[in-house]
Amino acid sequence: MASGYDRALSVFSPDGHVFQVEYAGEAVKRGTCAVGVKGSDIVVLGCEKRSAMKLQDTRITPSKIGLLDTHVCLAFAGLNADARILVDKARLEAQSHRLNLEDPATIEYITKYVAGVQQRYTQSGGVRPFGLSTLIVGFDKGSQVPRLYQTEPSGIYSAWKANAIGRSSKTVREFLERNYKEDMDREATVRLAIKSLLEVVQTGAKNIEIAIMAPGKTIEMLAVEDIEAHVKNIEQEKQEEAAKKKTGRTPGTGSAAILTRTQES
Amino acid sequence: MSRRYDSRTTIFSPDGRLYQVEYALEAISHAGTAIGILAKDGIVLAAERKVTSKLLEQDTSAEKLYILNDNMICAVAGMTADANILINYARQAAQRYLLTYNEDIPCEQLVRRLCDLKQGYTQHGGLRPFGVSFIYAGWDPQRQFQLYLSNPSGNYGGWKATSSGANHASAQSLLKQDFKEDCTLKEACGTAVKVLSKTMDSTKLSSEKIEFATVGQTEDGKIYHKLWSAEEITALLKEHDLAKDETAEDK
Amino acid sequence: MSKGLWAPRQPPSAWCWNLAWQAGHARAFRLKLQVRVASGQPELPPKQASWTELAKSINNHHPIFPHAFNATMEVLLGITGKDFTLIAASKAAMRGVTILKASDDKTRQLNKHTLMAFNGEAGDTVQFAEYIQANAQLYSMRNDTDLSPSALANFVRGELASSLRSRKPYNVNLLLGGVDPITHKPSLYWLDYLAALAPVPYAAHGYAQYYCLSILDKHHHPDITLVQGMKLLNLCTDELKRRLPIDFKGMIVKAVTKDGIVDMEIDNDKVVKCA
Repeated sequence: MASGYDRALSVFSPDGHVFQVEYAGEAVKRGTCAVGVKGSDIVVLGCEKRSAMKLQDTRITPSKIGLLDTHVCLAFAGLNADARILVDKARLEAQSHRLNLEDPATIEYITKYVAGVQQRYTQSGGVRPFGLSTLIVGFDKGSQVPRLYQTEPSGIYSAWKANAIGRSSKTVREFLERNYKEDMDREATVRLAIKSLLEVVQTGAKNIEIAIMAPGKTIEMLAVEDIEAHVKNIEQEKQEEAAKKKTGRTPGTGSAAILTRTQES
Repeated sequence: MSRRYDSRTTIFSPDGRLYQVEYALEAISHAGTAIGILAKDGIVLAAERKVTSKLLEQDTSAEKLYILNDNMICAVAGMTADANILINYARQAAQRYLLTYNEDIPCEQLVRRLCDLKQGYTQHGGLRPFGVSFIYAGWDPQRQFQLYLSNPSGNYGGWKATSSGANHASAQSLLKQDFKEDCTLKEACGTAVKVLSKTMDSTKLSSEKIEFATVGQTEDGKIYHKLWSAEEITALLKEHDLAKDETAEDK
Repeated sequence: MSKGLWAPRQPPSAWCWNLAWQAGHARAFRLKLQVRVASGQPELPPKQASWTELAKSINNHHPIFPHAFNATMEVLLGITGKDFTLIAASKAAMRGVTILKASDDKTRQLNKHTLMAFNGEAGDTVQFAEYIQANAQLYSMRNDTDLSPSALANFVRGELASSLRSRKPYNVNLLLGGVDPITHKPSLYWLDYLAALAPVPYAAHGYAQYYCLSILDKHHHPDITLVQGMKLLNLCTDELKRRLPIDFKGMIVKAVTKDGIVDMEIDNDKVVKCA
């Protein structure tokens, strides 16, 4: 144990680690999973949603997906309360950008801002970093190009075709790496997002949230029934595939990983 | 091992947890129980008093229940001194909103204000988190009656029935059993005292051991909130046959 | 009257009046005087005073806003009805006697159900309106609900009140109209640069008040439909065309209903002759 260097806030240890930032990364991994997938003309955010307890008021459920501005959407994994603060700051910046510069901010601008705030909390005195990773998606004004960015507790940000954060994000990312295709249409993109989430969400549609962003439009939250339909469809396909494997026994399809690759259409 | 991460200020442990927050939650589970139940025509909050004395002025020294503004009240579980700071903050926030918009602050916004402050204390400068959970009961035109629970981490959620403080796990399971959707305020009051009587050590209750408050709507549609007087609580307890035999006790 | 009277230091509005006088628009001038009397302001300077001084005294009588007069030629109208609020604003952007633009939109949408129209000092108006707009939108983003028109009106009033007491106050007059997102009740608020706020069934700003309020007094009813509201608005604009000494370049009209804000058609080319 690097004694002491993980206790004082945000200082380097002798071997060059900033432990608090790394530990914040662990907090992210404890959060529920979120994925983002870019299609040819839309971008999709998907989230694992904790199921409501019996006595919970379903009218009031703070969502993991939120709008920063009408054209920018954010999903996070990590500490809920931290996210509220960060999202609030980003919303203020988005509106401030509109007021000062007339145009809505670009997705990259907002991402940079969010990452900048996160960075500041790794270097300022007496604060701990945000225990958050975020996926930020949307379309710039007048642009048809989907954007997807990720930010991390360290303040790093990066652009992705598809990515996952939070619990089991590695598994999901690997799944996305195997199954991502360029220029997917709306259905294929939504399907891939749901399918990738099903890698970690066992309980099906009621625990999945899907948000779709399209150019010039505001957020569209996919209805539970639609998610349900996708999930059914995917599961059916999986079963058929499995059945085929049993009877057909084509060589080299032993592992589940390869199985999923062959069925993506 | 965990000693390394639990002193001074709130920082991440190697597995990404905030021990200070978890310890604050621990502190709350020693405090008196508080419960809240949402009915279709109102909300009831009930709480167990820890400090009881014959000499205590009952009407003026509320320990667990506080009024936040004209349409919101809250129950406290945890460190009362911390709670006072937060309640003061909430009252100011509510009045500031009223001053700015000439409308009462929507319940969720007030809850969020408080939670943002609580969150701040888990992230900034060498401070410990607030050791308080709140149960809020309120009304606003958008969502009518609402019940919230917030904890030291700065998280909050909306509930139909919820509890906090000592024995909150058993209180919660009792509520799960006894809660009926669309119950009336009167029924909810009955459920509240029953649950309290079971979670508190003594089977018989007295008005000095519990605090009681309701938010409701008058016939002409006005929202009221009421902190119950000792007599009213005693009457309720008698009605549900939970009252201590006071004649034997008093004389 | 010599040319030297129009010193460059004079505010543009003083300019405008001198020019108007020269052009023989005596009526416009008389009107200004009536305004002064009606509002109980100090008596005119003695007759022998030069026209420059007179012009100055008229235009400079306000301690804070020497240019306040300019705004009064910009027309703002608001009418509420059964299930709507109409907001109309003239399209001319003026500086002194010059019309800079004939398609100016003096309104900003604050959220789905609230619209604000403004006139006043040229730079102040848009700056203030967009500041309010940004705040309204920030509120909507943060809280996932919109502020009601009444809440917004009170917010604007507060902003104007603190602005008024600052080093450089905004000179903006506003009409704020909308439909409550929960009760669907229409409402209209009249605000001026002194941070006065009044909920009203119909309203006007500037000189339009003197021409239109009497018409609205006579014909308005809280239960009118949108079609009737438009008719009433046409009565008002006809009168303005008939009586106002300037061409205000027609109106932009917007209606707020529970479904949002829509642009309304109005015949701006209609010629109205004065008797």
